[in-house]
Amino acid sequence: MVEDLNEKIKTLEEENEKLKRLNDAKSEMISMSAHQVRTSLSAFKWMLKMFLDGDLGELSHEQQGFIQKSFDSNERMIGLVSDMLYANKDEDASIPYHFENTQIEDLIDNILFEFIGEATRKGIEVIFLKSGSKLPTISTDQIKIRIVIQNLLENAIKYSNNHGKIFISAHEEDNGVEISIKNTGIGIPEKEKGLIFTKFFRAGNARQKETFGSGLGLYTAKNIVEKHKGKIWFESEENEGATFHIFLPLSTD
Amino acid sequence: MSKKILIVEDDSFLQGLASRKLTKEGFEVVIASDSVKAFEVLEKGNPDIILLDLLLPKIDGFEILEKIKAVDKTKNIPVVVFSNLSEDKDIKRAKDLGALEFMIKSNFTLDELADKIKFILK
Repeated sequence: MVEDLNEKIKTLEEENEKLKRLNDAKSEMISMSAHQVRTSLSAFKWMLKMFLDGDLGELSHEQQGFIQKSFDSNERMIGLVSDMLYANKDEDASIPYHFENTQIEDLIDNILFEFIGEATRKGIEVIFLKSGSKLPTISTDQIKIRIVIQNLLENAIKYSNNHGKIFISAHEEDNGVEISIKNTGIGIPEKEKGLIFTKFFRAGNARQKETFGSGLGLYTAKNIVEKHKGKIWFESEENEGATFHIFLPLSTD
Repeated sequence: MSKKILIVEDDSFLQGLASRKLTKEGFEVVIASDSVKAFEVLEKGNPDIILLDLLLPKIDGFEILEKIKAVDKTKNIPVVVFSNLSEDKDIKRAKDLGALEFMIKSNFTLDELADKIKFILK
């Protein structure tokens, strides 16, 4: 009896080892392919930007428009590859987090700088409502919180109506800071609200509006926020828009 | 006198684009496709800055960086790692070996790269 059991445990352990190795190999393959895809995407990015800047000769208005569209689409692909790489590693408990004191409004300012161009081109107004008083510094891994805010902003832009508005705000809450990103847009259908943070999930109306997307953005965001011992949640009404909130505690201790 | 940049990069498409843009921005650009060529260039004299890819044939960028930093003659040349690796462990390793900056290629355009180099060499 005991021997039987020991035999079973041994088999299970071996199986487990095999699965682990398989998972590692898969993960490694994703990393390597992503690296190669990124190399191509980087070359396109550089070249298209050189066209846009007139480094390779003057462009007609029409050419400029098409190349801008190619550039934007290439940027989305780059974002997708980054999401994929992140999701590939997020279950890896060994991913180190480097916490440092962060002035969240400065970080948001910095991220917004990268998005204003895209938003303006789409006729979307981005409004950052700063808190009147100075917010306390919080302890974050800035590289990772940047990914969270970027993902939320990308969604806010992607799922906005034309000439929509995006409001960002940050204020102090119980021993922490709450950041909110609100848009006017397609919103999240009632029956899909429970699934929105699930890996690879994309709501029906989101897929309709933007065929392109990995379904990893919010999943990744939730993962990172929880590693900060924070919370992420939303309110939304379909066809009205959505507001995503993140709460980050002052310290993760 | 224009500033000299050594670009260590094995992808010929990326080489061509970076070389064209940085030359246009007023730099003297020398390209090395692998470590052998890179050290040949360094043998002849120091560039003002090195732009270093990490995944290279045979000897990789980490090892090149280590060698550059181990030699008195070259250890003070600023090295900007320009790679599509983006894991924390790679960034940390490059920084620990003495890289001044770690830039992920797909996150920057070449005009931004040129601005960064100008800022470093100011």
